[in-house]
Amino acid sequence: MAILAVEGLSCRYGSIRAIRDVDLTVDEGEIVGLIGANGAGKTTTLNGIAGLVTPSGGRVRFAERDVTGLGPDRLLRAGLALVPERRRIFIDLTVAENLKVGGVTASRREREERLEEMTSRFPVLRDKWSTAAGFLSGGEAQQLAIARALMSAPRLLLMDEPTLGLAPTLVDRIFELVVSLRASGVTLLIVEQNATRLLEVADRAYVMRTGDVAMSGRGADLLARADLFESYVGDTA
Amino acid sequence: MTEILQQLVDGLGRGSEYALIGLGIALIFGVMHLVNFAQGDLITVSGYVTYALLTAGWSWWAVIPLIVLSATLTSVVIEFVAFRRVRGASDTTMLLTSFGVHFVITALFVMFVSPNVRTFDRPGWITNTVTIGSVRLEVFDLATLGVTIVTLAATAFLVRRTMFGISLRAAAEDFAAARLMGVRSDRVIQGAFALAGLLAGIASVFILMRSGRTSPNFGETPMLKGILAALIGGLGSLGGAVIGGFALGLLEVFLIARLPDELAGLTNGVVFLLIALLFIFRPGGIVSVRHAERV
Amino acid sequence: MSEPSELTAVRRYLAPVGGSTALFVALVAGCSIYAAGGGSSRDSLVTQLLINAVVVVGIQIYMGNTGVLSFGHVGFGGVAAYVFALFAISPERKATIIPDAPFGLTDAGTGPVVAVLIAIAICIVVAVIVGLGLVRSGAQSGAVAATVITLALLFVVHEVAVNWTELTGGDRAGLSFSVGETLGSLWPVYLVLFASIVAGRVFSESRVGRSARASREDDLAARAMGINPAVPQMAALVLSVVIVAAGSSLRVYELGTVTPKFFFLDYTLLTLTMLIVGGRKGVTGALLGVVVITAGNELTRYLAGPDVNIAGLDWLLRDGLSEIFLGGAMLGFMILRPSGLLDDWELDRWWFDRWRRRREHAPPPPVPAPTAAPASLRAEGVTVRFGGFTALRDASVAATNDTVLGLIGPNGAGKTTLLNVITGLVEPAEGAVTLDGAPVTGLPSHQLARRGLVRTFQNLRLFSSLTVRDNIAVAAEVGARYRADRARPSVEELLVLARLWDQRDRRARELDYGNSRRLELARAAAVGPVFLLLDEPTSGMSESESQAMIEQVRATAAAVGAGIVVIDHDLGFIVGICQQIVCLDQGAVIATGTAAEIQADPAVRAAYLGSRAPV
Repeated sequence: MAILAVEGLSCRYGSIRAIRDVDLTVDEGEIVGLIGANGAGKTTTLNGIAGLVTPSGGRVRFAERDVTGLGPDRLLRAGLALVPERRRIFIDLTVAENLKVGGVTASRREREERLEEMTSRFPVLRDKWSTAAGFLSGGEAQQLAIARALMSAPRLLLMDEPTLGLAPTLVDRIFELVVSLRASGVTLLIVEQNATRLLEVADRAYVMRTGDVAMSGRGADLLARADLFESYVGDTA
Repeated sequence: MTEILQQLVDGLGRGSEYALIGLGIALIFGVMHLVNFAQGDLITVSGYVTYALLTAGWSWWAVIPLIVLSATLTSVVIEFVAFRRVRGASDTTMLLTSFGVHFVITALFVMFVSPNVRTFDRPGWITNTVTIGSVRLEVFDLATLGVTIVTLAATAFLVRRTMFGISLRAAAEDFAAARLMGVRSDRVIQGAFALAGLLAGIASVFILMRSGRTSPNFGETPMLKGILAALIGGLGSLGGAVIGGFALGLLEVFLIARLPDELAGLTNGVVFLLIALLFIFRPGGIVSVRHAERV
Repeated sequence: MSEPSELTAVRRYLAPVGGSTALFVALVAGCSIYAAGGGSSRDSLVTQLLINAVVVVGIQIYMGNTGVLSFGHVGFGGVAAYVFALFAISPERKATIIPDAPFGLTDAGTGPVVAVLIAIAICIVVAVIVGLGLVRSGAQSGAVAATVITLALLFVVHEVAVNWTELTGGDRAGLSFSVGETLGSLWPVYLVLFASIVAGRVFSESRVGRSARASREDDLAARAMGINPAVPQMAALVLSVVIVAAGSSLRVYELGTVTPKFFFLDYTLLTLTMLIVGGRKGVTGALLGVVVITAGNELTRYLAGPDVNIAGLDWLLRDGLSEIFLGGAMLGFMILRPSGLLDDWELDRWWFDRWRRRREHAPPPPVPAPTAAPASLRAEGVTVRFGGFTALRDASVAATNDTVLGLIGPNGAGKTTLLNVITGLVEPAEGAVTLDGAPVTGLPSHQLARRGLVRTFQNLRLFSSLTVRDNIAVAAEVGARYRADRARPSVEELLVLARLWDQRDRRARELDYGNSRRLELARAAAVGPVFLLLDEPTSGMSESESQAMIEQVRATAAAVGAGIVVIDHDLGFIVGICQQIVCLDQGAVIATGTAAEIQADPAVRAAYLGSRAPV
């Protein structure tokens, strides 16, 4: 069943037409990838879905409900969480406080339970429990950002460039985490720089270029395509 | 030595009032990027409430909670009526809006109460002093300091430990990211204004006890001191505003003691000049709070 | 040449003087008619209106052209007022009110004219000091810093006036002229008002005034076009203070007295409300604001006075109504219409724009510039660190003015950082940038632009409220001043080249995206660059728009004889326009070559698509 259905989505930044007529669907339990060169509109698409940017056209349906243009706080209550580009953790708050903010929509008991879950899933966070988030390393910060989003127990998790700036071993860890999240019932829509790695774990993926979808298909199929580079960066003939 | 101790307590006593108001200003600036010129009007409102109730025969003890309540309520009302409509506008727009709000409120008092100064009786124990060893201290200063410390501690607890406080700090740091977490922007801003009003109310109690009078623009000077306190600490830094307030109180007492008599009236002028210079050379304030940054 | 010189003369001098005369005559005529219908109270009101107009025009010159909110301009007024009073009041009078004035001022007496000049001179000194402070702090803290510093001025002046009793007469009495010593005729007011309006308009149309407004719109872009914002902002401040000083002196002379209250928060509220209601971006708006608010104020004063008794409204029509009106007007406009009634509309501009449109025709597009002497731009061994993060690592690129060089690479590769180093926005930890062999590393961006390194921005930084034509004209004025030896197409030719001729008088913010991008390109070209550095010029464009941009960039570069360095993600665009391409990844150069070589390079593919192998 499609937990997310995006039809004809268009967004602008001022007069910049950032994305135009984007269609994509995500079925429950899938990992769907969104890849493409920079400036292709991947982040804008996620932001348009998550309510950070009000779409200028098109519709977003989440769990059978029309959620187009709803603010991010309402979408979160509906079960859609975003790990934004460059993480945007609260650097002056401690790890614990960051996580608590992530769980602000939950009841006190739910929050406590989920905090426990997060510390077992991300042991490094327990070590840095009372440290200000600004002191974390890149990998730790990324884990915090993901854990923070998980605190709201989302059904669909959007992730924007989760491996940006991370060393290769950490990149491995992130992809392992993504796979285990799918196993525990979370659906994921992931924007990634590292298309090769993402296509290895994704069920399906969309390739974006200059504001719309250029290509889509199953992860393994896309990976095998000879013209992937061209569709990525433009027709260079 | 005794003189220094007395000046210290005196300065901290004054500084307490500035710290509380400055903290309110910093709170609002943190979430809205707005320097609230109308903060002083909360004190004015409290003043008129005090005047009305005392003249009607109430005792100071009964009046105190109403002072705090009226300041808090007024702050929330102002947010709802005026500032909510300009949220997200440019800094200049918000500055001018708060300026305009201040003038309208002042004018309302001129119109519906009186343009004149209204006086009321100060509580009897104001002038009491207590002697510790060879040092004579004013009970009032000690009371102000004591209540302020308790208030600051309670505020610190609120801001650090409760979900409201954590959400507030998150929103002050990154408003959009806080919304992404589900924090309700309206509630956070309302809460900031309410808390700022509460702090101003507590400060008003002591300001009014000390002065024994009120007038339509009575709150202007304390508000200004509060803004200066917040500026010294670097706008948006809560701890900085508190330190700034105490520093300002000490600076005032120091200047009054050191300046020759003819120039004593220029104390405020010197303070403003120093603040201007501060802003020219260190726009981030003296107490630049170091943001946690991985080196 | 950037504008036909007859047009320039009309635009800069004839039209503003003509428009100012019209405004002045209308204002004075209206006031005279009103005053004729009543007694001395009307005369007094009219005089105050005209004097307030001087002060408000003065404040407008600063606030409108720089966009800085100055709470303290009335503080300058206070300084001028007291200085004027101290020198203009007769020594005999001063002996009775301030017998112990310091600096021997009790005995000084120069008469009003010299007194005004002294007041102006002292205010200029204060203005320069404050202006330097604003420049120093402005870039970092913006609006808040300016407010604090100017507010501090207001309060310091007030405090000194209240407390330094020997000099200022203190809080209650202040300084006062003896009866008969005050302003007699209106001629000085007429003279000063006319001069102020003319000054405001002429300054606005001057090169300095336009640079100030460009900086107000976008500080970074203005610097990238060769404008140093500090200079026009200081000029605006000094001119505005001169006028405020003159107006404040007149105010004191007319009232016959000055106390600290006269130049404090109430007067600040009045003058600011006038500016906001009328429109703070223009002189015409400022004047309209003065008239509207004065009328409104008078009306509320009348309604609140003893002559009006409307049953049921008694609670409203009383003392304090004027302040409610003022505060309410300011609030209302800030919330509902922040640009004021007239925004930046000016009478003479309105007339001039129509006159010019009737006369002008689109010129033919510019011919390619004659082959210029070869020029080279090199960045060698550039390393940039932000905290612990190395954004660029020993990066080197070289460009010449007869080729197009492309910079490509995935997100975070360091392309924009390298561009920022070349254009002066970022200082490298190591390495050097040279232009024709001359070192230019670390020079501020406006100086680099003046030497011919002009850039565009990824996030489109136009001067939004300026017209399309003015966006280009402002840059062209820089070119005329600093790059006069280069072949530069005129503003009109660039408009035609960018296919913006029909939109030339629309505001830049009204343009759609494609047009906006072409405008940015044309604006950069107007400076007369030797190198055009373009940061993602096709970002957000569709495929066909990108292809069209190839031709646009080529033609523009040819018209000014500039070399091109371009960053972009659209490899189709890059390959279509670049002869030489450099690929960056994670801060280092990983490939250099022609389009064919780059496309075939496996390192480039791996950089874009990611790989399993550790980097």
